[in-house]
Amino acid sequence: MDILINGIGLVLNIETLLVIFLASLFGIFVGAVPGLTATMAVALLVPLTFYMDTIPAIAAIVTTSAMAIFAGDIPGTYLNIPGTPASAAYVGESYALAKKGRAREALGINLVCSVFGGIFGTIILIVVAQSLAEVALQFSAFEYFWLAVLGLSCSIFISVGSRIKAFLSLLFGVLLSTVGLDMMSGAPRFTFGVPDLMAGINFIPVMIGMFALNELISYYGSRSEKKNIGIDDSDSVFRQVPNHLKRYWRNMVRGSSIGTLIGALPGAGADIAAWISYGVGKGRSKEKEKYGTGNVEGIVDASSANNSGISGAWVPALVFGIPGDSITAIVIGVLYMKGMNPGPTIFMDSTGMIYALFLVFIVANLMMLPVGYAAIRLSKLFILTPSRILMPAILCFCIVGAFAINNSVVDIWLMLIVGLVAYLLAVNDFPMAPAILGLVLGKVVENNFMSAMLRTGGDLTSFFARPISAGLGVAVILLWCSPLLLRAYRRYRANRAAIAP
Amino acid sequence: MRDLFAGLAFFAAGVATIMMARQFPTLPSLQYGPSLFPTIVGVGFCLGGAALAVNALLARRQLALARGTDNAPAPATQRMRPTMVLPPLAVLFYILASDYLGAALTMAMIMLVLMLVRKTAVVVAVIASVVVALAIYFVFSRYLLIPLPQGVLFEGGLPWIF
Repeated sequence: MDILINGIGLVLNIETLLVIFLASLFGIFVGAVPGLTATMAVALLVPLTFYMDTIPAIAAIVTTSAMAIFAGDIPGTYLNIPGTPASAAYVGESYALAKKGRAREALGINLVCSVFGGIFGTIILIVVAQSLAEVALQFSAFEYFWLAVLGLSCSIFISVGSRIKAFLSLLFGVLLSTVGLDMMSGAPRFTFGVPDLMAGINFIPVMIGMFALNELISYYGSRSEKKNIGIDDSDSVFRQVPNHLKRYWRNMVRGSSIGTLIGALPGAGADIAAWISYGVGKGRSKEKEKYGTGNVEGIVDASSANNSGISGAWVPALVFGIPGDSITAIVIGVLYMKGMNPGPTIFMDSTGMIYALFLVFIVANLMMLPVGYAAIRLSKLFILTPSRILMPAILCFCIVGAFAINNSVVDIWLMLIVGLVAYLLAVNDFPMAPAILGLVLGKVVENNFMSAMLRTGGDLTSFFARPISAGLGVAVILLWCSPLLLRAYRRYRANRAAIAP
Repeated sequence: MRDLFAGLAFFAAGVATIMMARQFPTLPSLQYGPSLFPTIVGVGFCLGGAALAVNALLARRQLALARGTDNAPAPATQRMRPTMVLPPLAVLFYILASDYLGAALTMAMIMLVLMLVRKTAVVVAVIASVVVALAIYFVFSRYLLIPLPQGVLFEGGLPWIF
């Protein structure tokens, strides 16, 4: 009980609440400006969180990401441009509603679904994480090796688009993770004689390069933007919400469940959760013909899914130290910096940190209601924010932020090089999420592999000697064979259909 | 077409990675040394790059077959504006110039140029870049105590504020 009270005390104090409030404004702003993503918001935030206490730092990240994912719907509704990739699945529906003069109604239902999804995901996180942690306490290097490999594999097989490209992107991340002194022999790898690289690649400049500099390059490579809002938004934000909820509460629960599940899978974040939930909702709807013409049903499904995905991604991140999406990949880096090592022991700690963390989620999601309401009323202001003034400021922030972690110019170089490579990869349709997972998990895979091999004297069969380890190993192998199995199954079905009269 | 080049680039990167990994020391007592994972990555780059390149070639051939002739013009890829080189150049400029000019002045210059490129009104651009540069400088150097370069141009500081 004392622990719980301690935890509550860590959150309900002026400093943390102020941080949550400021972070929610920042998150709304970043989400509502097209071209700035939730991941970018979090990456830009990290240099600042570096100087905060643990709980305010985490609160800032949780709040910013949740708000940004909701606020991505604002330009989606008014301009048909998703503010963040997670809103892309259903911008068509919101925009169609807005053209009918129901912009605020669409955003109102979006907001309520986002809050519900976020809290739903948090409850799952609270319930599941505790019990998973008890299982995870028995894990050794073998299990962690397979878990990390499973996480990496998921990021390839759940990504949208070419699997080869996802695979190559992943390897790029793994290669970055091998830079520095080797754990076993102490030999320097890929350091090119730069002393700053001996300790390994610093995570934050890489994130800033990958998610912020990359976006800035594409902004300056694109044609000038013209924003014309021809949308009338004099309707009420919340008046229609009870009706819609009464009609579509099943969609909301289903969307949140799908979102939490997809979010918890490593490598698949809020954007994929929204797409899948939208697809499932459309497939099971009784009014399929209404989709694409401004259907509230599709919005409910997908909007609750993307916010629950954000919370769901924290389950594997906290329990196993394996990030569920690119935002939690950053979070894991922050947790290590703060000395709060993710893993099952985080739940055994006696300072109430974990309760504080759960409470942060609830407070952040509830904060979304008033802040989100104000943001909806002020939508046009956000959308008309001139990017031509904002983008240069973000660039300077990137430079100083990358420098600030170690006070090292090498980190600015790192941001520059990674940003250029990420840009080249992104314009050729390589997904970024696998690369960041590779960077985080590459070390986990290698270290656990090496320590397992050291323990068993190089016996590879030992990876299948323990029951959980063997089960995870089989899951990885099945996942890798899944395209072949699926193809074989389809051929079998086709053959049967051909034989049958 | 771009996939072909990307595939070949990854293949080359894979070969380079394997070559470098071969120079890492091996420990006699261990079967698996520091070169194991870089080598796996290198091999993966080669295989993935080759697969990407071959797929691109096959797709091109199919496209050519579908069009009937080989010399029909390829579909125009969307062209990027040359201003895309500005953000990386700006970062480079900061790295090279901030020790001399100081962080605040360097940032202001970067922002001014970037804003003017996007046709911001000159007065707005000057005011915005100076205000934002000073804000970032103060937040990081005074509040977070980051030793941002002050620059030797003004002998350690602009007299009236720093």
